[in-house]
Amino acid sequence: MDLIAGLIQTSILAGGVLALAALGEVLAERVGIVNLGVEGLIALGAITGIATVVAIPSPTLGFVLALLVGLLVGMVFATATVIVRANQILCGLALTLMGTGVAAMIGKAYSGIPAPATFPPVAIPFLSDLPLVGRALFTQNVLVYLIYLVLPFAIHHLLFRTRHGLDLRAVGENPAAADAAGIPVRRIRFWYVSAGAALAAGAGAYLTLAFVPSWSEGVVAGRGWIAVALVIFAGYRPWTAVGAALLFGLITSLGFVGQARNWPIAAPVLSMLPYLGTIALMIVPVLAWQKVRRLMAAPAALGQPYFRDVR
Amino acid sequence: MAIRIQRVPSENLGGGVAARLIAILLALLVAAVIFSLNGADLGALGAHVLKSTFGSRFGLMDIGLIMTPLILTGLAVMIAMKVGAWNIGAEGQFCAGAFAATAVALFVPGPTVVIVPLMFVAGALGGMVWILIPTLARAYADVSELITTLLLNFVGVLLIYYVATGPWLDPSGMSFAATKRLPYDIPSFWGDVHWGLPIAVLLTVLVAAVLNYTRWGYEVRIAGSNPSAARYAAIPFRRHLIVVMLLSGAIAGLAGMFEAVGTAHRLQGGISNNFGYIGIMVAVLARGSAIGVLAGALLMAVILKSGIALQTQGVNISTVLALTGLILFFTAIGDELSHYRIVRSKPA
Repeated sequence: MDLIAGLIQTSILAGGVLALAALGEVLAERVGIVNLGVEGLIALGAITGIATVVAIPSPTLGFVLALLVGLLVGMVFATATVIVRANQILCGLALTLMGTGVAAMIGKAYSGIPAPATFPPVAIPFLSDLPLVGRALFTQNVLVYLIYLVLPFAIHHLLFRTRHGLDLRAVGENPAAADAAGIPVRRIRFWYVSAGAALAAGAGAYLTLAFVPSWSEGVVAGRGWIAVALVIFAGYRPWTAVGAALLFGLITSLGFVGQARNWPIAAPVLSMLPYLGTIALMIVPVLAWQKVRRLMAAPAALGQPYFRDVR
Repeated sequence: MAIRIQRVPSENLGGGVAARLIAILLALLVAAVIFSLNGADLGALGAHVLKSTFGSRFGLMDIGLIMTPLILTGLAVMIAMKVGAWNIGAEGQFCAGAFAATAVALFVPGPTVVIVPLMFVAGALGGMVWILIPTLARAYADVSELITTLLLNFVGVLLIYYVATGPWLDPSGMSFAATKRLPYDIPSFWGDVHWGLPIAVLLTVLVAAVLNYTRWGYEVRIAGSNPSAARYAAIPFRRHLIVVMLLSGAIAGLAGMFEAVGTAHRLQGGISNNFGYIGIMVAVLARGSAIGVLAGALLMAVILKSGIALQTQGVNISTVLALTGLILFFTAIGDELSHYRIVRSKPA
């Protein structure tokens, strides 16, 4: 029983990185921009978080500064992809390389230092005393509740229950029609891409301040790419994305449990599981349920720059 | 006379080349500013870089050695682009090729004249196997090959790490993450520079000739630039996609084979050294041309070698990765800007 409770607790904790980054990517892709720089943004957020708490031991400040760094870098990315309308795939790959490289450069000084201040688990009264799952579900750090409950609710509400959400989805589906209807396509794309980047960097701070919690080169380990894949798998829906992230947290924590319990599988082989699992999840549903394809389709104008003057 | 800026669908060659040169210069400028802000002596750094790259025989040899895998990974990414596919997984295919070639070298006994060609085949097959599932998923289920190939990079790096620290670890205890020295070698023609370099150059020219001067190459290019037009012209898009992607994986696998057998002489953890990712950069710089791949690989080899040389001067090797990203970023912007032209028109 302890095993299952521990597994759930670690899954939630590990999935948080993916969930937050995936929510950011949902925002960007819903307005029609593919941001492949998530991996680099997570790295930048991770190093921002750890560098902040080493200077000032406040994890909240670290998280907020990471969000700000993400927002600024996101604005640079949005300038290139939304204003200049450069190739989104190339700009995203460039952002991944830059973010990973810069974070590793700065990170040399912080490598291996455990974070001096982290987000501690908070036990919710009564709920955390529930048998079996109480501790696992309700003794988590404060960011977990934000990532798994508050944010997906807010983003879902924004996207599907408000007029503004309709506008921003229209921008992702058909920017020309949205433009004709008087929706400010460029402004909406710019700010949602930037906001999404901020969340991705926040996921990095979560990684080094709540999950690992320390910096080492390669600590991001492809989580940004898994998050991008999850968004496709989740059909660009916030709740589904968070659920998928939890599933991946489970796969990751299976690896941990395997190592802790000395399963006769080598650690590097266990570490392959999340990547192989992601690939399987990208392929199997499409093959198994043809109908899913239409339901989970990408925004129609995803990846396409919008030129008002060119027809 | 009214002057206005107009966007045209095709970019001109001059603009594209100029965009790349400006992007490279801008990125180097940014790097120089950051170095000097950190209190580095730019003159000394520059002199050190020149001396360790073009200024010495060993520098030139190293550039030749580094160019070999970069030409091949760049070529691999470039031909996939030709058919409209993003092979971001050259890193993983590189690892698979190195893995397969090492397996042959370690476990298949035989005379050198048989084993060396067998390692070639194994390297190419390894890369091909690594891209097989992303290829089929893209061709039959329309699953983004960009993400599946990329995710397999992590698996490939872990695979190498696993065998190099575990089952294939050098039994002599000289290293903790490498196999023993492989009993076979790629012959050298100039110092340490082995025949991988001329073979890579030849392969690039060959592939470019096939793409540019054969019916098959023409169909591939049409399929890549406009799939619906290709379908209308009864060009078998799916078949071309599969063949070209597998070929792309095979070429990246060859890169891994040359690196493990010819350059490192062993399989070791971290052998892929970002060659796959830098290959993307090479392919983008190349703008789809063979000469471009060679030039791009040369440039990136010089940058990589400079990064290695500057490590002794306290510069971090991750700088190279960041600089690569910066060049890529400026190139992407420059490419888009070169679509614009200034037109003068008389008011109607």
